[in-house]
Amino acid sequence: MKPRRIIEVGLPRLLAWCLLGFLFVPILVVIPVALTDRDYLSLPQDGMSMQHFAALADWSKGWLPSMLTSAGIALACAAIATVLGVAFAVGAWAAGGWWPSLMRILLLSPMIVPPIIYAVGMVKLWARLSLLDSYTGVILVHVVLALPLTVLAIGASLSNLDQRLVQAARSLGARPMTVFGKVILPNIVPGVAAGALLAFVSSWDEITVTLFITGRAVVTLPRRIWTSIQDAVDPALAAIATVLLVITVLALVARALVEQRQRQRKF
Amino acid sequence: MRNFKTTALLLTVPASLVAIGLYAAPILQVLALSLTEPKFGLANYQSLFANAAVGRVVMTTLKVSVMTTVLTVLASYIVAFAIIHMSAGWRRISLFLVLVPFWISVLVRAFSWITILRRRGVLNSTLMDTGVISTPLDLVYNLFGVTIGMVHYMMPFAILLLYANLSDIDRRIMQAARSLGARPATIFWRVWLPLSLPGIALATLFVFVFSLGFLVTPALLGAGKTLMIAEYISVQISSTSRWDLATSLSTMLLLVVGIIVFAAMRSPALRAAFVARPQQ
Repeated sequence: MKPRRIIEVGLPRLLAWCLLGFLFVPILVVIPVALTDRDYLSLPQDGMSMQHFAALADWSKGWLPSMLTSAGIALACAAIATVLGVAFAVGAWAAGGWWPSLMRILLLSPMIVPPIIYAVGMVKLWARLSLLDSYTGVILVHVVLALPLTVLAIGASLSNLDQRLVQAARSLGARPMTVFGKVILPNIVPGVAAGALLAFVSSWDEITVTLFITGRAVVTLPRRIWTSIQDAVDPALAAIATVLLVITVLALVARALVEQRQRQRKF
Repeated sequence: MRNFKTTALLLTVPASLVAIGLYAAPILQVLALSLTEPKFGLANYQSLFANAAVGRVVMTTLKVSVMTTVLTVLASYIVAFAIIHMSAGWRRISLFLVLVPFWISVLVRAFSWITILRRRGVLNSTLMDTGVISTPLDLVYNLFGVTIGMVHYMMPFAILLLYANLSDIDRRIMQAARSLGARPATIFWRVWLPLSLPGIALATLFVFVFSLGFLVTPALLGAGKTLMIAEYISVQISSTSRWDLATSLSTMLLLVVGIIVFAAMRSPALRAAFVARPQQ
């Protein structure tokens, strides 16, 4: 390589790999800390230990109940948000006009409006309706925050759908609900599945608003992690972080494998 | 005919009711409370502007948000630009390195940074054991720690946005420039950069707006010492019950975010980038 080319091409590329390292490597630090043999946050000193992973499975330590709480809330949230999201996206796509466009902006706004503002509003509203620290209260808030994701995912699927399919079905005399259920819905299954998955993940991870509308009764996993980070002592925190990291990596690898298989099938 | 459209409109009703009743209404109530708590008028806003503590919080928020935005967009552009020039295999690996932090919980990331940066953390112990420093450095619970954590949080978003934008640019333009004798640097400054300005603007907008109202990372990595608006609001409602301050500050934040987004959407290039986000 000529010196000029090294500066113009090689240096930026090296910098890019350093930055990719900056993104990825720091997360890995939770793995050695989870394996520490001490009972405070530290690197392993006289050998490794699985005791902190065992603590996660201990019901009385609270991690397991929180995982189940979060999973339950996320499932309920995904189910409700998907049904509402499909109905809205399909209806808006078929009807058009100012009302659906206006509602779409409102439904998508939680993506850009800072969640802290929403939290302030919900604390007031749930206090009045006595829904603070209740499962119903948390699930409803998570649904509102998940709806933008389901609406966008299903909307993306719909934009690839040919309007003429609907016209054909209607001209053959299909009733409206038949068109929605038997013509449109089967064609947007991938978008619906993606929307449901996104809704589940967003609820599973939600912390900002949950922090203000829950107390002692409903302790989701992010909430327990939040408290634990502020104490900054228990290595079980590193163990749960490791578990979440492994789940994320496995999910991404699984997705890559599925995509690769689909690509091979095409050729 | 009519029947079909009516049914379609009916389908939009449930989600709309949820959005109006459980999103618009509580936020409108925040705006209303800022004008009526404790009594009707603009008194809350007058005291907001006179409040020195609020002034400091606003300055910290602006400082951190601007630094985060500049560093994030610059670093993300370098990464996204490198990724689109890689072979398919390397690109898959790079995107994996971006997607893992993208999907993993923000709490896990903040925790990793605390583990690395605190006084007896991984970085300080390593530096002291190797004799580079003799006393631990203050790397977290200050402006430095908050900014590192924020940049780390925002980069995957920005990289994916810029990557989508850069992949959309017609590569034949660069071939044309090269065949006309332009050097790589010229092609970058005169072709790539101007064509990717909408993407850069969009990434800047998103990162800046997210930074302004961000609670989790500043709260955990700042630990009350580097106080930003979202955490300040949270203290007002959870410990001191100052609803007047919390609601008027929330309203100001909403107003600022609204103005930024509205102004940005007036630019046709940005609106196009926002509406037609290309799919991978």
